[in-house]
Amino acid sequence: MRAYELIKETFCRKIYILIIHLSWLSLYGGFWWLFLPMGNEFGQFIFIWGGFFLALALSAGIFGDDISSGRICVLVTKPFWPGELYIYRLLGLSLQAAVHFILAWCVIFILHTFIRQGSMNGLVLWLFASWLLFNTCAALSTSLSVVVGRAYNALLLLIVIITGFVVVGTMMAYLKQHSETEALLVSYFRFVCPPFEMLYKFAGGEYGKYSLTVGRFSLAKSVACVVHSLILTVVYSIVGIVLLSRRQFSSRRD
Amino acid sequence: MRKMIDNDNKQTAVIECKQLTKVYKGLLTGRSKAVCALKNISLSVSKGQIIGLIGPNGAGKSTFLNLMAGLIFPTEGCLTVCGSPARSVEARCGLGYMPEHPSFLGRYSARAVLRYHGALLGLSRKTISLQADKSIEQLQMEEFIDRPCSDFSQGMKQRLALAIALMNDPQVLLLDEPSNGLDPVGIIRLRDVLKKLRDSGTAIVISSHRLGELEKLTSDYIFLYRGEVVSLGDRIVTGQAGRLRVELVSNGNDIAEKLLSPSKILGVSDTELEIAVNDPEEVPDIVSNLAKGGARITGVLLQRENIEDIFLRLYNERN
Repeated sequence: MRAYELIKETFCRKIYILIIHLSWLSLYGGFWWLFLPMGNEFGQFIFIWGGFFLALALSAGIFGDDISSGRICVLVTKPFWPGELYIYRLLGLSLQAAVHFILAWCVIFILHTFIRQGSMNGLVLWLFASWLLFNTCAALSTSLSVVVGRAYNALLLLIVIITGFVVVGTMMAYLKQHSETEALLVSYFRFVCPPFEMLYKFAGGEYGKYSLTVGRFSLAKSVACVVHSLILTVVYSIVGIVLLSRRQFSSRRD
Repeated sequence: MRKMIDNDNKQTAVIECKQLTKVYKGLLTGRSKAVCALKNISLSVSKGQIIGLIGPNGAGKSTFLNLMAGLIFPTEGCLTVCGSPARSVEARCGLGYMPEHPSFLGRYSARAVLRYHGALLGLSRKTISLQADKSIEQLQMEEFIDRPCSDFSQGMKQRLALAIALMNDPQVLLLDEPSNGLDPVGIIRLRDVLKKLRDSGTAIVISSHRLGELEKLTSDYIFLYRGEVVSLGDRIVTGQAGRLRVELVSNGNDIAEKLLSPSKILGVSDTELEIAVNDPEEVPDIVSNLAKGGARITGVLLQRENIEDIFLRLYNERN
């Protein structure tokens, strides 16, 4: 009952959540209809919109709204471990995303059936990679929401990630002559930050060039990518759970 | 005044705090320096008691309530609720908390909110349904039970928040300004519900500025002033102290000077004396002494000090 209500709440808490899902699905359909993309192009589009922007939109204020309104004060006086609140809410987001990506596949399948152009090759893998990226970004955003009021968690994460990409891109260009430092930085960003590059290459099949392959994909590296992104999701979640358990709350509203 | 930590009550104490101190540190809170919100508070609350938590703004009432609810950590000292440390799952099992400004998911109806909180409490569907029906009847929620919370008035929110706090039949009920926004009928209903809970053994702590309302519920108060319980270790009990007005034919000033100690005299004129009384049992002796001393008394009226008088007296003494 508790799990069900907390999972349901992630979908029912705001009317805009349904609007976001519908808008995103329309966006996928519109992109397909207008550009008739081939497999990877559409996959990349869905990877960014579904894996990253959707995670930010759905997790905006997931705890921050409760903290700002003072609602959290009643929730944390209930007799259960606060980690449950976090876990079931993140699970709620993850389930929403899973259903969202299944619906996205259905939309594209219907359009593909009618238009009979474009390619759906590799789409399932892109959707799976998008779901993994979604989970990681949602965990990061949810953890941030425990300490940042209202819906600023999503905005803050968006700014930090965009700034991060610009700064890292500039640094990499500068560090071309210092290959050791570049390698160190690349591995740091790859293993600690949200796995954009890793999952992008995983879905695109680029890792298949380097080791044993299943079709065009590297089985070992693909499994490693999936496991690594799941570990990151867990690590970001643990940080959020610890913050939620240690945080003090005020019944005063913003 | 009555001794606060009553040994007889220790057996049934559901809230106990010892040397409780709370300091808000300046870091990350926007404050320029640390603020001591509560200082060395030691007290206990027993089953079946209603305690009024009173004091001026900034006295530490909300901090104390938040500590009992487990929303914040004490800096020093210990606090147990229902025999377990505050904020532990065991303590929260027997706790009901109603915040000053309740807030709900706007899209949920009152019934859905009750179902949601019942599920968080781990209650079965059947129990949730029974508790919801009980609350609907007790708190007059029939008219808005299926309306979305975004349409609610302050009074409706208060009633729903109280219903949520009562869902697990708590041993300890913490209420922050519970009568905010309630209409007179709602206030009477609230009073009846709280009295029934008290009779069934629930300890209730109410933080409120509505002293008149509190007085109808309880005669036990904790007066907080700048983070300290005034007269540490003692509880204020109304209905004891008061002022005695004695009407005389004449010579009020001479009689007061001759027969009364200056500390007892609250007011004096030629035809009227106002005398401080600590206990109503003192009245016959005072009147008898005045008569023996030659006062020609035409009327006597004992005005007992209510909580508002006590509040003002304590407040003025400290300013």
